[in-house]
Amino acid sequence: MYQKNEYFHALSIKQENCTGCTACVKVCPTEAIRIRNKTIILDERRCIDCGNCIEACSFKAIVPYSDNFEIINNFKYRIAIFSTVYAGQFTEENDYETIKKTVLKLGFDEVAEESSVVDFMTEMIQKYIRDNKDIRPVLSSGCPAIVRLIQVRFPSLLPNLFHIEAPMSILSYYLREQAKEKYQYNDEEIGVFLIVPCVSQVTAVHQPEGTYKSYQDGAFSIRQIYSRAQEVVKDAWYDDKPIDTYESGLTYGIAAKEADKIDSDDIRVLSVTGIDNCIDILSRIEDHHFDQYQYVVLRSCDVGCVGGGLNVENKFIAMSRLKKLAQEENDDKLDYKEFWALNKKGKFDVPKLKPRSIMELDDNLFAALEKIQKIQKIVKQLPGINCSACGCPTCYALAEDIVQGKATIKDCVILYKQNLDKTEKKGK
Amino acid sequence: MAEYWNINDDFKDRAETFLKEKPEPAISLEFQVSKHDFNNAGNGSAELKRLLKKLGIDPVVLRKVAVASYEAEINLAAHSEGGVMKSNVHGDLVHIVFEDIGPGIEDIHKALEPGFSTAVEYVREMGFGAGLGLPNIKKNSDVMHLDSIRGRNTILEIITYFK
Repeated sequence: MYQKNEYFHALSIKQENCTGCTACVKVCPTEAIRIRNKTIILDERRCIDCGNCIEACSFKAIVPYSDNFEIINNFKYRIAIFSTVYAGQFTEENDYETIKKTVLKLGFDEVAEESSVVDFMTEMIQKYIRDNKDIRPVLSSGCPAIVRLIQVRFPSLLPNLFHIEAPMSILSYYLREQAKEKYQYNDEEIGVFLIVPCVSQVTAVHQPEGTYKSYQDGAFSIRQIYSRAQEVVKDAWYDDKPIDTYESGLTYGIAAKEADKIDSDDIRVLSVTGIDNCIDILSRIEDHHFDQYQYVVLRSCDVGCVGGGLNVENKFIAMSRLKKLAQEENDDKLDYKEFWALNKKGKFDVPKLKPRSIMELDDNLFAALEKIQKIQKIVKQLPGINCSACGCPTCYALAEDIVQGKATIKDCVILYKQNLDKTEKKGK
Repeated sequence: MAEYWNINDDFKDRAETFLKEKPEPAISLEFQVSKHDFNNAGNGSAELKRLLKKLGIDPVVLRKVAVASYEAEINLAAHSEGGVMKSNVHGDLVHIVFEDIGPGIEDIHKALEPGFSTAVEYVREMGFGAGLGLPNIKKNSDVMHLDSIRGRNTILEIITYFK
């Protein structure tokens, strides 16, 4: 269903499972969901892929989407890149080398990890902050849900976003070019796949915001790869062919740790996780309340990517494991010379991100003003208890929907009951 | 002098007409700000910001309004005995009036100097009172009018045009 629309979202709606409970409606940070007659209506333009609704639904009516694993067979040379968080899912009897080899055993020709470019990323972010002294604070763009949140709700902060590709996209570009050069494959023969912890990263692969071109061909959830990995983990363990490993970057999926890496004498970093906290902080940044920070790490999921909805393990356990693995002493170091050269050529630059101004009531300001006046009148009639029984997140949202012609005042269950009581009294 | 005016040249004529004719606003929002209530100070400007976003005004203008109104609202909580923030939205501008119940500003011109602050220790500890409030408001508004005298109250009005 998603392909027909302008916007891709990494979730599937199973209308037949919806009970009309409105749990999803209440947790949506952009008020993108309505329920009418046990039917979920998603405003595709508003949805930012945070995954809150998926977590909130107890009836599997909204479920995460990720690509079918078989699509790797459409490519001659297959490259997998896994998120730093992947390693945190495995129990501690598995060493990091084994964990990395499980991905190789699943049928990929080359496997790389996000953690290998973390140090490059850190230096690049620091350079960007120092080069752009007029932008304060610089906001991290590593979380696709946060980028979309800013497009939808905080368009005035778009210029503050770090306008350079995310680590896995940088790796995708680099490895794709290498495969072309080394093995003479052409673009269509190479498949690059990401193994990711959340739906927003699946969406980012299919519909990257502000990217010149997508370098990836699919995204698999960590959950999906983890269960396949169980079948090959023994094989991986017995395989003693040496491979490069990059453990020191493994804590990048923990927002506070990412902030610590970037923090330095002239760069003060604030780290914020959880979508509600991010909204609060962004609103205050809009008021210039946080100009003392040079950089702000913002992650939609609690604690950071380690809290992503497509992971297997509890986020605190995974966090502890990643910290332990990151202390491994025999990790390799990637030579970043080529990455810096590509960066200098502007290969990782992102074009200016555009707002998705869809919170506004009308294209015409005067019409919008009139609508607000009407909304304020309607709000006064409504009970104001935000029960969501009408299928809207709040009474104010119902008033908005009424003015926009998407609902009627009869949708308010409380008013309906009050009217019923009145008629009953009259009847007596 | 107990009065200070700053009008952006680009809007001089329009501002003078507006101030003379005092047209009825399309929408008004009113917020009470209590002395040293930093938990709630900021809610008035947040509400105004939400409303302006629904109107779809330019993000750059929105940020100006956000900064100026937030600063002024915090000023009410930090320096006055409490007061009211009244936001009037018109078709082409937003006019915000902050009126407190005292104690008035000793020296308006000094208060407008960057870095000058009379904020007490307690307020500074909360991260406010850096002495950039009024200069910031001036920078982020098209019209700023400050009217105050020690022993009386303070009225601050700001106007920001949508384009």
